[in-house]
Amino acid sequence: MFLARSIAADHKDLIHDVSYDFHGRRMATCSSDQSVKVWDKSENGEWICTANWKTHSGSVWRVTWAHPEFGQVLASCSFDRTAAVWEEIVGESSDKQRGLRHWIKRTTLVDSRTSVTDVKFAPKHMGLMLTTCSADGVVRIYEAPDVMNLSQWSLQHEISCKLSSSCISWNPSSSRVHPPMIAVGSDDSSAVYSGKVQIYEYIDHTRKYAKAETLMTVTDPVHDLAFAPNLGRSFHVLAIATKDVRIFKLIPMRRDATHSSTPTKLEIQVLAQFDNHNSQVWRVSWNITSTLLASSGDDGCVRLWKANYMDNWKCTAILRGDGIPVNCSHDVVSQQSLLTASSAERKLS
Amino acid sequence: MEKMSRVTTALGSSSISGRTMFCHLDAPANAISVCRDATQVVVAGRNIFKIYALEEEQFVEKLNLRVGRKPSLNFSCADVMWHQMEENLLATAATNGAVVTWNLGKPSRNKQEQLFTEHKRTVNKVCFHPTEVYMLLSGSQDGYMKCFDLRKKESVSTFSGQSESVRDVQFSMKDYFTFAASFENGNVQLWDIRRPDRYERMFTAHTGPVFCCDWHPDDRGWLATGGRDKMVKVWDMTTNRAKEIFCVQTIASVARVKWRPERKWHLATCSMMVDHNIYVWDVRRPFIPFATFEEHKDVTTGIVWRHQHDPHFLLSGSKDSTLYQHMFKDASRPVDRANPEGLCFGLFGDLAFAAKESLISGDASRKPYPGGDRRYPIFFFKKPNPTEQFAHVSSALSVFESSVESRHMDWLVKTARLYLLSGKPFAELCDHNAKVAKELNRPQVSTTWTMLRIMFSDPANLSTPGPNHIGKLGTLPLMNSFSMKEMGTGLVAEGRLERSKGESRQDNLHLEPGNSLINSNNDENEETEGSEGQAEYMFGDAELDDDDLYSMEHENHAAEEQEYTLPQEAFPLRHEIMDNPSAPEHLQQDKADSPHASGNEAEVMCLTPIESFSLISISQPLFSPHLPAQFFCPVVREMLIHYAEQGDVQMAVSVLIVLGDRIRKEIDDLTQEHWYTSYIDLLQRLELWNVSNEVIKLSTCSAITCLNQTSTTLHVNCSNCKRPMSNRGWICDRCHQCASVCAVCHHVVKGLFVWCQGCSHGGHLEHVMNWLKSSSHCPAGCGHLCEYT
Repeated sequence: MFLARSIAADHKDLIHDVSYDFHGRRMATCSSDQSVKVWDKSENGEWICTANWKTHSGSVWRVTWAHPEFGQVLASCSFDRTAAVWEEIVGESSDKQRGLRHWIKRTTLVDSRTSVTDVKFAPKHMGLMLTTCSADGVVRIYEAPDVMNLSQWSLQHEISCKLSSSCISWNPSSSRVHPPMIAVGSDDSSAVYSGKVQIYEYIDHTRKYAKAETLMTVTDPVHDLAFAPNLGRSFHVLAIATKDVRIFKLIPMRRDATHSSTPTKLEIQVLAQFDNHNSQVWRVSWNITSTLLASSGDDGCVRLWKANYMDNWKCTAILRGDGIPVNCSHDVVSQQSLLTASSAERKLS
Repeated sequence: MEKMSRVTTALGSSSISGRTMFCHLDAPANAISVCRDATQVVVAGRNIFKIYALEEEQFVEKLNLRVGRKPSLNFSCADVMWHQMEENLLATAATNGAVVTWNLGKPSRNKQEQLFTEHKRTVNKVCFHPTEVYMLLSGSQDGYMKCFDLRKKESVSTFSGQSESVRDVQFSMKDYFTFAASFENGNVQLWDIRRPDRYERMFTAHTGPVFCCDWHPDDRGWLATGGRDKMVKVWDMTTNRAKEIFCVQTIASVARVKWRPERKWHLATCSMMVDHNIYVWDVRRPFIPFATFEEHKDVTTGIVWRHQHDPHFLLSGSKDSTLYQHMFKDASRPVDRANPEGLCFGLFGDLAFAAKESLISGDASRKPYPGGDRRYPIFFFKKPNPTEQFAHVSSALSVFESSVESRHMDWLVKTARLYLLSGKPFAELCDHNAKVAKELNRPQVSTTWTMLRIMFSDPANLSTPGPNHIGKLGTLPLMNSFSMKEMGTGLVAEGRLERSKGESRQDNLHLEPGNSLINSNNDENEETEGSEGQAEYMFGDAELDDDDLYSMEHENHAAEEQEYTLPQEAFPLRHEIMDNPSAPEHLQQDKADSPHASGNEAEVMCLTPIESFSLISISQPLFSPHLPAQFFCPVVREMLIHYAEQGDVQMAVSVLIVLGDRIRKEIDDLTQEHWYTSYIDLLQRLELWNVSNEVIKLSTCSAITCLNQTSTTLHVNCSNCKRPMSNRGWICDRCHQCASVCAVCHHVVKGLFVWCQGCSHGGHLEHVMNWLKSSSHCPAGCGHLCEYT
């Protein structure tokens, strides 16, 4: 059961991304109105906007939190061709108006010559690394050599994907058996290049990222992709938002030499493919135990997907997404009835 | 009026058609301008001055105005303007400060007509009066604007901005006499052409230079200005004070701004550095361009709408030496690529969802899916009027909170908290954990723990805690089979009997709630599904007949049944053991290995085997006590891996820790490390620091245990002499007194030390807390009213 709590976001244009922090207590939203807002959950569960500032001079496409070990750090990326790293400072402010806590810009990454479409921090075990991808298909991996100094980032890798990139996702696996892996999705709409998802893997031998795989079956523009939390698995699960929701299982094949100079061969299985949204799917997101996948599409609904032990994926809930306060109670009721209806339906079948 | 009618006829007679096309110029362009009937375009630059005809399919070079063997600087143009009334008349602004007019009607090759060399520095802009044939205005870097009457040899008036260089001058569409000038210091001035002594009005429009300005074509008195501050501002000049009514944020300094014909809210901009694109903005939605032209490879220097009443054609010249005609329908629309939704799963299963309001409300009013007939590509969804749709958008943000009863993460947190991983004999740990799992409605996991206990405890000891477990499982088959053991238990260890009685009573209590829990157990319980496979996996071979329960069309009602039938799976275990004839050779190993098991149980071992053995042998040879724990290792290994593959890393790690050496060697170090790091990460996410620390401490991987030891340094100062403590003891080297003494019990505090920041007295956390319950004064007797928060 879900209770819908509507939040008066008060962004002046579309909200493009919402992101929870590591502990789920804070939330950041970013919008075309060039601002980022940070929301904190109060004692009684209300979300209160504790910061709101102009981050870029263009639409802010994505916002993401760093692991709290590195401080309260946000990264944002924008149509203005930059990505920026922000840190929350407590105290130290000379400006009384801004109060004790405020966010300051630590760096601007200006290497891209086109819109920066996604920004993601690498898994914590890799250190403090930030990845961006841009509309011209370049994925850039930055590293902060000194985690205490967020204003210094060195460009470590530049991967050219050839196709306009729209989203990236790091493989979160912390296993040493799994080399760093990153999936890049493209929203290129031409049918000429099939395979809109590319997977790159770090090759220890050459110290470079090399393409491990292209998911040739994904031929439509990809809007979002997300690796499931790994949780000790030996394989990887990747959800993709394209014209439908797809779930892929990537099984690394054993290889003889661990320090080979070619990327790991991956066996790829399609676990699921759902076109229930009947339209573009914009976002996919995993819960932390990777048992539930949420997807949202142009139909304005959020759908939750779950697998049973046989890896059969099913829709477990449909959530309609209007948090309009007037209809709020009604919505909750309808949602609940919807939910119960769906579960009843499943019991019947 | 006259002008209007002429234009419309022009448009009517030669209705413009064409396509997106370009041609290469010989040199970078600085500015372009079209003639009135939109059939020709002039391109001017430092090394180019040409006229091209706009034909249906291509640009055709008509005339090169740059003539002579060694063209003078008069030919190198910063700006060009084609007169909108006189077809043969052009004016250019030269970089050497000259203002030149050109008459295309001249028969000679050199079309230069007049030359005004009054400006001392580069002329940035020339502008013909929209309705007056002979009036030309220029603005220069030297800070002056000059008005020329083309019938005269000299300027008729000079306007001094009194501020910095003039970047742009534009005659007003509304007032015959008014023109606007923009300056490098951020000011915009309004002048009356008749009053060269003083500007009518001045205001600061931008911080930094104002590179361009453009009057709205529809007589509205709106002026758009663009500056280095990356902003385009629209000013309403009809009011007393210029009022900023719109502000568009672009991503680079704005070099040119041009209102789009026939589209009230649209204007086109280009930048002078970094950004090569041309953007068309709807000023009502100032954050995201309505359309983008991305063809140019270098800075776009000149943009002009091809015809002043046609919004579909845009011409542009660029430093990349190309001249483009852009069709509006070929423009890319950034909004279409911008995603209208955000979605994120929170830690506790909350979902944050932000979506374009029209998507949501549209859906609410619509019936949810009439069928599968909406499967068109997205562009079919566009409503007829994209402009209006474009302007007004907003997103709704909501959080779907998983209600308290069905919190997804609760079981995980509770399990993590309640599991015992060390500190008790192995069997008790297993039992405890089984109980925890049972109470959290995870029968599969619970059963696994019980199995583990059965497998790895010594057979004798096994029978003792058995009843607890049976009571919990509460299904018939097991009761039957184990009841004998219960008898055995009674015979064997009386001391334990009491305990088990007590526990079985408890267990009976648990039984009912447990069942009701199972009944109410809804499909949200992830674990049931996740772990069902496990049992099958482990003991599957013997149990194929039962498999219809776990068949492919398995649904949740099946899951519930499944839970009831779970305990049956205890059978195959025994079968499996029995079937395996390899016991004897393991026997010796068992003895050798028994110290490995748990020390406590070793003594019991000699007590029970015979009795329990005899009992067991009556009904069915339940298990052979000779089976060494090691025998199960492969099975357990499989099981752990299975749990891990299912994503239940908690189980994998917990079992790994509890079994310790019994299983550790079976699983390769990297996998173990992977499990540990994953689980620790999960725990830290859930802020279960204590559990995470315990796991780290108990882990056997060197890579994990060292997690606790990195970057932790403790500096201690003596509380008496305030000097750093050098050695490891609790006595200060210098003053030879015990440091950090508890004010309550006067012993040295070696754990958590709490002190008052006012008087710096303190002591054991517990003692101080107790003290403060009864008194608010400092326990040291210093009289301070201590506050511990």
